[in-house]
Amino acid sequence: MQGIRKYYVQFTFIFLATSLLSSCSKKSEESANTFKIPIEYYKLKNGLKVALSQDKTAPTVAVAVYYNIGFRIEPKDRTGFAHLFEHMMFQGSQNLGKMEFIKLVQSNGGILNGSTRFDFTNYFEVMPAHKLETALWAEGDRMKGLSITQDNLTNQQGVVKNEVKVNVINQPYGGFPWLDMPQYANENWFNAHNFYGDLKDLDSAKLEDVDKFFKTYYAPNNASLAIVGDFEIEDAKKWVEQYFGGLPASELPAKPDIAEPRQEKEKRFTKEDKLAEKPAIAFAYKMPERNSPEYYAMGLIDQMLVQGQDSKLFLSLVQSKGYTGSVNGGINYLGNMYNYKGPMVWMADLIYDANVSPDSILFQVDKSVAELQNTTQEDLNLAVVKIRSKLYDDLGGFFGIGRADMLACFALFDDDPDRINKLEDEFKKVTPELIQKTAQEYLRPTNRTILIVDPKTPKQ
Amino acid sequence: MKKNILTILSLVFVFAVVNTNAQKQTPPPGGTPKDFKLPEKQVKTLTNGLRSTLVHYGALPKVDVQLIIKTGNVHEAENEVWLGDLTGLLLKEGTTTMNFKTISKKVAGMGGEVNINTGMDNVTISGSVLSEFAPELIKVIGDIVINPAFPASELERLKSDLKRQLTVQKSVPQSQAQEKFFQIIYKDHPYGRYFPTEAMLNSYTLDMVKGFYSKNFGAKRSVVYVVGKFDDKAVAQAIDETFGKWVAGPEVSYPAATQTRTNEIAVIDRKDAPQTTVMLGLPTIIPKDKDAVALQVTNSLLGGSFSSRITSNLREDKGYTYSPFSTIQNRKGVSIWYEQADVTSKDTGNSLQEIAKEIRKLQNEAPPKAELEGIQRYMAGTFVLQNSNSGGIVNQLNFLDLHGLDDSYLTDRVKNIYAVTPEKVSQMTKDHFKYEDMTLVLVGDKKLLEKQIKQHEAAKKMK
Repeated sequence: MQGIRKYYVQFTFIFLATSLLSSCSKKSEESANTFKIPIEYYKLKNGLKVALSQDKTAPTVAVAVYYNIGFRIEPKDRTGFAHLFEHMMFQGSQNLGKMEFIKLVQSNGGILNGSTRFDFTNYFEVMPAHKLETALWAEGDRMKGLSITQDNLTNQQGVVKNEVKVNVINQPYGGFPWLDMPQYANENWFNAHNFYGDLKDLDSAKLEDVDKFFKTYYAPNNASLAIVGDFEIEDAKKWVEQYFGGLPASELPAKPDIAEPRQEKEKRFTKEDKLAEKPAIAFAYKMPERNSPEYYAMGLIDQMLVQGQDSKLFLSLVQSKGYTGSVNGGINYLGNMYNYKGPMVWMADLIYDANVSPDSILFQVDKSVAELQNTTQEDLNLAVVKIRSKLYDDLGGFFGIGRADMLACFALFDDDPDRINKLEDEFKKVTPELIQKTAQEYLRPTNRTILIVDPKTPKQ
Repeated sequence: MKKNILTILSLVFVFAVVNTNAQKQTPPPGGTPKDFKLPEKQVKTLTNGLRSTLVHYGALPKVDVQLIIKTGNVHEAENEVWLGDLTGLLLKEGTTTMNFKTISKKVAGMGGEVNINTGMDNVTISGSVLSEFAPELIKVIGDIVINPAFPASELERLKSDLKRQLTVQKSVPQSQAQEKFFQIIYKDHPYGRYFPTEAMLNSYTLDMVKGFYSKNFGAKRSVVYVVGKFDDKAVAQAIDETFGKWVAGPEVSYPAATQTRTNEIAVIDRKDAPQTTVMLGLPTIIPKDKDAVALQVTNSLLGGSFSSRITSNLREDKGYTYSPFSTIQNRKGVSIWYEQADVTSKDTGNSLQEIAKEIRKLQNEAPPKAELEGIQRYMAGTFVLQNSNSGGIVNQLNFLDLHGLDDSYLTDRVKNIYAVTPEKVSQMTKDHFKYEDMTLVLVGDKKLLEKQIKQHEAAKKMK
């Protein structure tokens, strides 16, 4: 295909074959219109939160361990450390030396990965169903402790620096807007620093930093475990107890204050990009508090404004004005509207031609936002259908990892993985009046940050 | 019985945890494998030649519909690069009875949208919607492909979009490398034409789009795939009624491609680039070849999986790169193997030498049995995953159809993967991975590369 190559970049450990990543749908029970996910939720004595969800569509099982430590709250003199640390979790534990974790999973017919996000770091495997115990043993082993040498650390510093180069430094629009926007839109350091890290900071990481970070954050009482797929509940419970039950809880440090002040003034920035040849623009608005009625309203506003070819911004910026061929957008560019906990923006971005002024783009955006004041119940019904369809994709997606992600996050952040089954109702509660009120407060121009990419390619 | 064995094993492990000075634990092996069957398909051919394949899969109330047409960039003439893409974009603009906005609203109401993708060998018109709308989506897709409006009013806008896309893509180092690499191997064949010129895009008219459409689209070249949860009867009826009316159109016909085997080196200068994008590879055997599975196993062991030798070496040992991978790219009747990696500029030559070393080593020595078995289990496991989602199922079935393979390619696949021996892997490496024959493309800072190419020349002579 010679269409636009989408660089959807995440802070991932391993490059997965994209041929495996197409959407998948599986589930074990269904009723007419509402769809209930079976969930068994409990906690071990050491505080580990465990969510189990059976799905016997395919003979596979997904295991996901989520730690309540994202890149927001990494040490101030060690930008990029949370992500570098994620790489270290693959470098060796007491019973699995370097490359042995990866080989264990792959040679048992599984795939694996890890990633670092705003508010968590995750590690997951998808295995043939009969290898569940093997995966639980391996995750339990690395939660117990790491065994890492200076060589391992130096090696991964090299790998991570190459990751930053291939995704950001040597790429047109590298880091735009997913890595850039938080740095421009936010005021609080925890939300506004470079999450990939300065190359200098990456170089200065030491083994003792790795040790300290592990001891501080990688404990069962700061983690959740989700298992999704073809397994028996009693087997899973037995193995979870066996491989995680004996791990000690730790005393967790107080959470820093990551709150953002209310934004009162529009902010506008320009970023020069020597590798880009066309300008690009991103606009971001601070989101309402997670799980509030306005948050669900923003979920539907996102659908109406930018999701799909029937959305207002697609119809105006692409179809009618021809400013661009596509508009990206959404809540949480490093995940989705469900898997974060803290300040967030709703954002959209597009690449356009130099003969178009950014203000004419923003004029169309403001017009679309203004139209939200005329939202009807019918418009909302359409948005709910779209979000429900997307939710099913998430719940069935990526061989069970999509569902495991939501279960693990809702366990970790809300102590309530059953929220999965309540989301649809929360969206249905949104009224046209709430849409109007939410748009007025949160889509005010004074609540937005604009970032423009100024192409500065040297003439050849 | 199975339970008892597991309990005994677990006791052993509990013991090992207590005895902290004991040697390392061995991972629990797990239970017995569960059965895996390929999902069943229902196949039908209409009188005009259109084929349909229906597969029930999953339990979530969603369905994927894909119309795959055997045409694409492969049918563009030399001065028509991306005319297929423009045709795809214009098809999406509406039918004789529904405009873009009407279609978009309608399909959004089903919980999805229609996408049109122009690929090298296939044009795909697809959507994923809530189950109850499967027949409706089939009708919309049928209307789009059978009754296109090709509105003149949208032509210039879409050409501008393609021009913008061209500029952006040409600035991406990985795209620059691919353009050059395929050009060297496929020369004048459409497979060797990656990008049009802006002048070419400017020259495209509505008549050219209509001509491309009528020459290349029709029932005989098309298969409708419906995968997911859906009502059989309603879906079958919608397919008959919608596609039964379509013209038979042209026969399936792919222009034969020839490949150039050359150890040419091409350098694309990217001043001050902190990394070099490396593409290294050569023509290889096609999926129909009796050794195709052995080639795939060899690729997985050499560079195609995370635990593969080249990836372990370049990334996990040397730290030269983040994302090295090797793959087999199959076009109609021709295939290429290549390794691609973005490596630290100063280590470009070192990286090439390490790749050469890994290839030589595998040529000289059969891999340990345990290593090969690990790779075989990985491939058998990912085969199950590829067939455990709607999109993956369509990909597999279309792969068979495009490359003229029968069902045994899938049904015997696991058996064939395990049949490959260590000696066979070594032999495949000798026969099909000759480093000295490989085409090399480097996108990076030229002034640094000149001396590193000498390391590549030395690697060619490595024994």
